[in-house]
Amino acid sequence: MKSQPVFELDDIAVYFEKHAVSQRSLRHMLGTLTGRNGQEYFHALRDIRLTIGPGEHIGLIGRNGAGKSTLLRVLSRVITPREGHVYVRPDLHIVPLLELGIGFQPDLTGRENCFLAGLLMGYSESQIEARIDGIRTFSELGEYFDEPVKNYSSGMYARLAFALATDVEPEVLLIDEVFGVGDEFFMRKCVIRMQRLMESGRTTVLVSHNLDFLVMHCDRLIWLDQGRMMMDGEPAKVAAEYRGSGGQ
Amino acid sequence: MTTPMTTLQQTTRFTLFYATSQLRLRYRYTSLGFLWNFLEPAMFLVVLSVIFSVVNRMDISDYAVFLFAALVPWRYLEKIVNSSMESIVGGDWLIKRMSVSPMVLPMTRWIMASVEFVFSMVVVFLLFGFLKPTWTVHLVVLPLSVLPWSLFGLGLGLIAAVLFTFFRDVRPIVQMVLMLTFFSSPILFRPDIFGEGTLQSAIIQFHPMTYFSALFQKPVYFAQWPSPEDWVVSFLLSLLAMAAGITMMRRYSSRFYYYL
Repeated sequence: MKSQPVFELDDIAVYFEKHAVSQRSLRHMLGTLTGRNGQEYFHALRDIRLTIGPGEHIGLIGRNGAGKSTLLRVLSRVITPREGHVYVRPDLHIVPLLELGIGFQPDLTGRENCFLAGLLMGYSESQIEARIDGIRTFSELGEYFDEPVKNYSSGMYARLAFALATDVEPEVLLIDEVFGVGDEFFMRKCVIRMQRLMESGRTTVLVSHNLDFLVMHCDRLIWLDQGRMMMDGEPAKVAAEYRGSGGQ
Repeated sequence: MTTPMTTLQQTTRFTLFYATSQLRLRYRYTSLGFLWNFLEPAMFLVVLSVIFSVVNRMDISDYAVFLFAALVPWRYLEKIVNSSMESIVGGDWLIKRMSVSPMVLPMTRWIMASVEFVFSMVVVFLLFGFLKPTWTVHLVVLPLSVLPWSLFGLGLGLIAAVLFTFFRDVRPIVQMVLMLTFFSSPILFRPDIFGEGTLQSAIIQFHPMTYFSALFQKPVYFAQWPSPEDWVVSFLLSLLAMAAGITMMRRYSSRFYYYL
């Protein structure tokens, strides 16, 4: 089991209906059924074949809209692809930190949200209770920890999410843009914690525009463009090709 | 090792914690806090019984006992359906960020409505202390009587939640159907006020709420046991609604993300 892949993606395709707002009505549905409306789609991912092994550190790179965040959502099982097959090893704690947020309920306090999200990640209340002081300290929220998260600034929100996701020491960590967390001082703390987690053998998949960090810390880089995998391989080589493409 | 059982355990823990925190949240910023659980249904029931006893020209004590018997479970059902319907769309903060069974959202609303129902029943029995002259053994059946109401509400709530996620036009339609069902049912008036062979009596006979209402009205107001027919029809409908709701959830939940 230990050497079994953590993720296996086979011919994945994710696409969204265009003009989705008008498509949410009975009128549109009736039009579709009678053939009056044509279906138009925006492809976020297509033909993705990918295997990620235990302990691997993967960096996802690409321009805005390339499909990096969508791929992370597929890996975290938030999105079920329209086509293809996804295998996710069932015995691991997988913690997604998508767009620097976890499933936080805006009206609940930071503390309550830690329990809520922690339970969803598969931890018990006592396990979260044991870590709550560490999360509070790392997030530097002080008395705001017991305030509703809807009153947080975006930096505070991201700090709490990052503190929770990394303090519970998941076996698999999926992070969308780790370098967007808080101010410069807090970001340094995050980088150190990320390095420690990566060195301790956790599987990590990172989306970032900081190529230097990814080249230095990842085993593989995957370059996505317009939903397709352009390259998957040794970080320095993929980064050079990506840079050389000039974003084309 | 994640097994279906640990996933179920994890989902149950999350649902209970979320429902509890939402219940605490409801009165967090109010001065009377927890007391509103009793005051809200008490005010609603007193106002409604006064208005309808005047409109129907009935003895207020007698009518209030009749009205409360089926009105309280109806409000429970209505609450489950309405709140579950919007739960998936309103839960995008969760569904778009974490891997979770969307079923937890309507289930949470169902738990919250059930807790509110228990408080309402406490209020009803306190009011019965003033309004109801005789108490009979038939009241012991009430914990069982609530089961079909609860399951029927949850089943309809699951169906409404799936439909509302895909078609936002569903909300006013569901609300209109609920209103029509309420006003055509024998919750507000006794079914025997219509003569035999009339259209109204035929509607009442085939109205599903007649059987559901009987589960409460008979033991509370008429001092009778509900008939086998009442049990069979109400349980059958509630199980059918649950089966349809769960099937729809399982079939369409993987597409919710694309519509949120």
